[in-house]
Amino acid sequence: MSLGTRNLISLDLFTDAYRVTGHTKVGVGGIHAELANPNSNFLEIQDAYISRINQPGEIVTHYQEAAFRKNNINFIVLQDRRVGIPVGTQHGRSIYTRGRPIPAFLTVPSFEIKGEIIHEGKVAPRDILVKSIGNYLLIFAAEASASLYPNIAYSGDLIMVSKDRIGLIGLGKK
Amino acid sequence: MAKIIVIDDDDQLLHMVGLMLERGGHNITLISNPRDGLERIKAHKPDLLVLDVMMPGMSGHDLTRQIRETSGLEGLPILILTARSQDIDRDTALKIGANAYLSKPVTSQELIKQIDTLLTPKVDEKAAPGMILSLFGLRGGVGQTTLATNLALALRRVSQHEVCLVDLSLAVGQTPFHLHLKPQSSWADLMGSNTFDWPMVKEHLAIHPTGLRLLPAPAMPQTSDGLPAYFIIQLIELLRSRMMFTVLDLPPILCPAFMAALEMTDVGLHVISPDVISVRTAVQANRALVNSGIKLKQKSFILNQVSAKPQLSKATVERVLNGRIPFHIDFDPNQMQALTQGTPLALTGTNSPIPTIINRMAEVIWNRAQKARG
Repeated sequence: MSLGTRNLISLDLFTDAYRVTGHTKVGVGGIHAELANPNSNFLEIQDAYISRINQPGEIVTHYQEAAFRKNNINFIVLQDRRVGIPVGTQHGRSIYTRGRPIPAFLTVPSFEIKGEIIHEGKVAPRDILVKSIGNYLLIFAAEASASLYPNIAYSGDLIMVSKDRIGLIGLGKK
Repeated sequence: MAKIIVIDDDDQLLHMVGLMLERGGHNITLISNPRDGLERIKAHKPDLLVLDVMMPGMSGHDLTRQIRETSGLEGLPILILTARSQDIDRDTALKIGANAYLSKPVTSQELIKQIDTLLTPKVDEKAAPGMILSLFGLRGGVGQTTLATNLALALRRVSQHEVCLVDLSLAVGQTPFHLHLKPQSSWADLMGSNTFDWPMVKEHLAIHPTGLRLLPAPAMPQTSDGLPAYFIIQLIELLRSRMMFTVLDLPPILCPAFMAALEMTDVGLHVISPDVISVRTAVQANRALVNSGIKLKQKSFILNQVSAKPQLSKATVERVLNGRIPFHIDFDPNQMQALTQGTPLALTGTNSPIPTIINRMAEVIWNRAQKARG
């Protein structure tokens, strides 16, 4: 059976206590399809370099192959938003081309995240969390800072935040 | 030319970085296994190390720490080149002893610029004081900029030292087209302050993948007042102290800046073409220079045939100018394509007239410079 075309994408993945830098293979459905794949509870990472979040520049260990329990992932930092926008919604009249940016603030365990969501219509957290596509909320031009170490921050063109891990969400201007 | 070791476990990236640096004129050693790194660094004694961070077996951080603890390697410049692109990654790299940090993907210009910054003290020590070469002529359209660009590249190739091409055109310089560069600034940007220093000049130099530096002309035409003599004197003094060779492409106007540049020139190359107007202009230009009291330390003619059929023979031109023409370049049919592609003929390795003569000239000039330095 052919596996079809699979691309390797680079990502920075964060759990409660660890930062993992590596690559993951994605198919035509992109990273969202991998994360939503019901046949596996794990996301496989190649060349995984693991750091603790209080010393995120230091590499604790490295594994050529690693797997992360999906419901442990708080958020994923991507340097190129094209990698993280769901396949089929990058072009044409999708929410990501016709929506407007809305400032957003979220918390997940150990981190707070600031950035913009792209949304169309009335701004309501419930709508955004329930009606948006997939299990991850897309925060553009985002920065995540560690709650206990606010000087430690990570920025990315796109941060994919696990909806299940969101503790608080604030939308619009302060 | 510097000895550079590149360590990266990704073979493709390793070779790509190696290629970028080789095109920059450096001598490269590639290592894919970081565990071999320290021993090979000790053996090769490089001028600089380019190091990845995420490598199996040993991280770039660990290797940096080992290097800093090794006697004799404490001062080795280390450039960290990594896919980890967060500010915290930069801070960590610098904290453990790296000298600079770049995140992947990186362009060859960014890489060469950063490496050059790290190597500058050593390069300066070897290169100073340098030689100033001016290509000039009062008749436009004789291929002066083509020859200046090719000569600068040939000097860079043959010497593997710092070479700068300065486009002093007042009427929109063409050197960026020749070199396929899109510079963001020009010498006009240095005019804002009365004095300027080397870091300011360096900021405005574009870098060609071969490592040749270019100080371009402004994108808008200038009056001759826009290029004052004091500016040229200061600029040439700075370049002489930093570059092995500075090639000036002078404007075809007898303005004070032109005169000042010629007075500071070590080798003047008067570019003419074998046609009546060019030769006549050259005769008058010679008279004007003599009347102005400008004596060039060394001057030669370059007879550059820019059309397929010359109006005058070389012998006729020599007779009219009452002097020998040491460099005669026949019409080069490849030049138009080279200009369109932004790949000067000196880089192509062809045996056509321009690269043949220009490479010979560069070798003569380089040999002379080496002798002068003992």
